[in-house]
Amino acid sequence: MSEISVGLNCPACGGAISVVEGDDTLICPYCDSTLFIEGERGVSTIAFKNILTRDGAVAETMQWWSRGWKARDLSRTGAVSEVYPIYLPFWRSSTRVAGWICGYTERRYTDDKGRTHVQRVPKEEMVLNDYLFSEIATDPGDLGITSLRNFSGETGFADFDMIPTFEATTGRDGAVERSKSDAISRARRSVSVPHITLERLHVFPRKLSMIYYPIWVVRYSYRNRMYMSTVDGVTGEVLSGRAPGDPLFQSLAITAGTSVGGLLAAAGIILSTLTVSEIPLVALMIGAGVLYLTYRFFRHGSEIIEGDFKHKPASGGEAMRGLGETARLIRGAYR
Amino acid sequence: MRIVQVRCPSCNTPIMSKQKDRFFHCDKCNVLHVRDGGTRNVDYEIAEFSDSAPLGERLYVPFWRLYCSFVIRSKSVEGGYAFRLASWIKGSDDGGSLFIYVPAADFDTMTFKRLAIDFTVRSPNYRTRLNFGGVRRMPARVSSEEASELADFVVVTMEAEKPGVLQRLDYSLTVLGSKIVYLPFVSSPSGLVPAL
Repeated sequence: MSEISVGLNCPACGGAISVVEGDDTLICPYCDSTLFIEGERGVSTIAFKNILTRDGAVAETMQWWSRGWKARDLSRTGAVSEVYPIYLPFWRSSTRVAGWICGYTERRYTDDKGRTHVQRVPKEEMVLNDYLFSEIATDPGDLGITSLRNFSGETGFADFDMIPTFEATTGRDGAVERSKSDAISRARRSVSVPHITLERLHVFPRKLSMIYYPIWVVRYSYRNRMYMSTVDGVTGEVLSGRAPGDPLFQSLAITAGTSVGGLLAAAGIILSTLTVSEIPLVALMIGAGVLYLTYRFFRHGSEIIEGDFKHKPASGGEAMRGLGETARLIRGAYR
Repeated sequence: MRIVQVRCPSCNTPIMSKQKDRFFHCDKCNVLHVRDGGTRNVDYEIAEFSDSAPLGERLYVPFWRLYCSFVIRSKSVEGGYAFRLASWIKGSDDGGSLFIYVPAADFDTMTFKRLAIDFTVRSPNYRTRLNFGGVRRMPARVSSEEASELADFVVVTMEAEKPGVLQRLDYSLTVLGSKIVYLPFVSSPSGLVPAL
């Protein structure tokens, strides 16, 4: 944690003291006097030192080019045109949630006579956790970054004069409210109680900080089109980016995907005329899922997007979860 | 922003300390005060170390002791027996009063729960003393308002952690009074051990 000296002196001994923004109490290191800061409480402000060099940011981006379903010739054809660091502001908060969630789950079983029964299994789950939350405190434009992943590293404000810094544009109160909502959501997800009969959750915001974090922006061209990536100035990890896809991968995917998905779906339809079990329905749903993923890859595969962009198609995992929900609904109706 | 030296609101003695604390204690007149939107004296007491306290570094841990009224409107427990919280409270089965102990220092979540439940279930008996006698005290972090909310967590925890599965509990918990209690502990390799 860095300290920001505000050029104050101890009112008791006159010694120079540095005040951590956000604290309302401090101890004078010279005379042990307890000092109290009157006025509105601020926010702890921390800046991480930029460790990554320009060459390092380019090297990380070029390694990123070779991963995943990006164009195979990107490493040879891509040309870096612009590389620069920026400081982005983030809110970071720690919130404790204490409470209980009670309720039940439903277990279905079929008896010897083929009748389906629903059994309630009561559950009580305690929640007593601290949750870290971060969100960007400004409009980052189309950088694809909305929160921080890394919270450790050397801190200091030495780079502030040399690196352009985005001003924070969102307020403290809004950040606290969002961190509380986030903590409650995560507390609910941490327990598996689908049917809730009693919920008593108490939320305690514990610390709020403003973190200035160094990010490298790398812009590059590929076949006369511009793309970009952002690289973490502390860890060197690529945080977000846009890259060209590969038409060959798209073609292979549409060929293989439609074949497999179509066969599975057809098998499901044929089996449904022969048996009354759930197997045909499962085969049909898997086939539909494969076809859907194939379509998504073909539709969006011309550009590979990683990060939290505003206009980004849902990831494969999110798409499958949506498909799973739909499948469960169909299954319920089928029963 | 203005920095002022903290002085005792009773005798005006400067408060000297080695650590940041929510509460400011005057070593001269033993007044404890807090500055949450204004200076306010805090009602507190200090428990005496037991004669049989184990060896180790001694320290005082602050707790909020909340005197609470508890009224049960309805309840439901699956697989358990009758409502058990009644055994901890004084009064009828549907309500009464109890002391709830909420650790005021900054503990990890499991230590917090253990200390809160242990002292609430077995309300400690102790002799009091007027000062800390040079024994280190842990700084307090929890405000009175936070302690009131945490008291709610403690009573539901006491009920839920007994046999049976709590399903519904419609109740009201009213904090009638609060006091800071510094309880004696000894720091051992296995953690903090009460020294009452």
